[in-house]
Amino acid sequence: MNTDFSLPQRQSAYGIIIMAANTAVKIGRAILLPLAILFIKLQAVHFLYVMLSIVAIILTCLLFAYLWYIRFTFFLDQHKHEFVINKGIFSRDQITIQLDKIQQVNINQSILQKIIGVYGLKIDTAGADGEEVSIKAIDEVSAYNLKEHLLSRKAAFEPVLKNEHTTHEASFLKISYPTLLKVGLTSHYGQSLAILGAFFYFLIHEGRQVLEVFDVDKGEIKNTMLSLATLFSVTIIVIVLLTALLIINLVRTFYKYFELEISKHNQSLLLSSGLFAKKNTLISPNKVQLVKYSQNYFQTKMNLLNVSLRQAQFGRGKKEHEMQGSSLEIPGCSTIEKNELIKMILGPQSLAGRTYIPDWRFLNLPIFFNVVLPVIVFLIIALNIPQIKPWIGLTIPYILISISMIYISYKKHCIMVNENFIIKKSGIWDISNEIVQPNKIQAISTFQYPWHKSVDVGHLCLHTAAGQIRFKYGNYTQIKNLVNYWLYQVEYENKDWM
Amino acid sequence: MDSFTNETIDLEALPKFESIRLYKPHPNYWKVIRIHLSIFLLILGICCLLLFKSVKELENQALLITSAYIFIAIVLFLILKLSFKKRGYAVRTHDVIYKSGIITETTTIIPLNRIQHIELNEGIFSRIYKLGKLQIFTAGGQTGHMHIAGIPIDEAKSIRDVLLKKIDLLDQHIR
Repeated sequence: MNTDFSLPQRQSAYGIIIMAANTAVKIGRAILLPLAILFIKLQAVHFLYVMLSIVAIILTCLLFAYLWYIRFTFFLDQHKHEFVINKGIFSRDQITIQLDKIQQVNINQSILQKIIGVYGLKIDTAGADGEEVSIKAIDEVSAYNLKEHLLSRKAAFEPVLKNEHTTHEASFLKISYPTLLKVGLTSHYGQSLAILGAFFYFLIHEGRQVLEVFDVDKGEIKNTMLSLATLFSVTIIVIVLLTALLIINLVRTFYKYFELEISKHNQSLLLSSGLFAKKNTLISPNKVQLVKYSQNYFQTKMNLLNVSLRQAQFGRGKKEHEMQGSSLEIPGCSTIEKNELIKMILGPQSLAGRTYIPDWRFLNLPIFFNVVLPVIVFLIIALNIPQIKPWIGLTIPYILISISMIYISYKKHCIMVNENFIIKKSGIWDISNEIVQPNKIQAISTFQYPWHKSVDVGHLCLHTAAGQIRFKYGNYTQIKNLVNYWLYQVEYENKDWM
Repeated sequence: MDSFTNETIDLEALPKFESIRLYKPHPNYWKVIRIHLSIFLLILGICCLLLFKSVKELENQALLITSAYIFIAIVLFLILKLSFKKRGYAVRTHDVIYKSGIITETTTIIPLNRIQHIELNEGIFSRIYKLGKLQIFTAGGQTGHMHIAGIPIDEAKSIRDVLLKKIDLLDQHIR
């Protein structure tokens, strides 16, 4: 229990266990397979040595974790409005974070942390180098107090005493199990497919290594596989794969968004979700750079929307999974909930505005590169290779499908502009709407091909800290007028973007 | 806030970015580009020659290789010349404008209150001709950055100082 952070302090002593376990798991994961092989291949005499070395590894982990714990201190500098962390086992590193540069504070709990009863606290900064700070073990009340301190830049540094933090807050959005089920069945097919692919790759790759170890005859395996394949016809395999895909989708959705809840917490929003590892994220609405909501055909019928809130992405050095923190996904909102959420983040202004649609020349390049060129190449190949000739008929459905897809993407591509927002709509299957406020624009680019000068067609790209918004093949005069207007808004109003 | 008014804005009366007269890079910068190109072509030539001498199969292809080399040299020269001619920059009271691009004419505008930091680089050859490269960074990621090369170094320095001063002023007035 701690409410005063002005003096340098260590984290909870349980941090040693967490840190040691983390390192041990990392090492373990790296040497798991060689170790398993060693166990099988080795004679019983050497078994003792293996066990001894494992014990030695664990002890070293503990020792390093202890040293790390001793050297890791943190405190809040109240006068300079900075959060300072000292760390480094052999070196001496000091990290200073200005409080107003903090993007978001996450309080997470892994399974181990849940068992011990501590929390992990992670600070995302807006520093250009994108460095990130995490405290591995801190008790619950301190964690929430610290978070409160870190995120209240103007508030005085009085101890905020809260025993029952989240339970008091009225949650205004809660995703129920039936909704999660629906979301799982209708979205994220692509990602699940990628996971399935990665899983099979892993299986084949690792399986081969194991087979080599056991000296299994490869031909034998191949024969069994082939007989299996003929046993099940292709349709059954397809059905099995599709079911696997849906199940993976469901499990993933439930795992990630289990008991997702959004509540208002003073000035900021608190998102909490997760099945085993509970994840709490606190963000202040004015740090959200881009709001996106998307919906596909099934979801329109079921009144479901996926909303994602994007924050500034700094630091190119960050790894993929760390970057995910800058985008918060909320699946399965109803239209009313979505409107509520948008109102909370962007303010009560109306989203209606003037719509700008692209010129028909939008169709030219995609049709050429995705339809004409591949079809010509295919025809040339097919006419020269007799084995492919029977498949020539496939070009007609291909042409029809791809042209209609390109046409849909053309019809859906537009931007809507009013004085408070810029909304870009796009997509073929998942129709997405990206909403940006003019004061979040970092830079604007306009493009034009020389041959489009006479027909007054050009492109627009708005650079924001959370990605770009592109509008293609618009009326160039209108685009230039819009750019002048946005520049006026950004430069004259001089509102902060973060 | 005492003098706050909220009149409707005449969109046509707003200052137009597209009608601003842009400054061209200094003519000496073309010399720098040519030096860079000749060094590149020299290295490429040496590589070709080494390849030609060491691989037996290429012996009969001398004419082909030479003509390809000359073709690449001419194309690169023309592209660079064209791209040099297309470049232009301007600094307004509230933003920086940079135009470039051979096929797609790109105009990028960065409002001064969105600049994160500024860098001034001087290459070896640019230094001979007293030229500098101004780099302006925003939080808009890689594509939101601006590189203006071939500005006379004194001008570049004064632009940098003016921009930095304005950024400081703007930061204090942020609402």
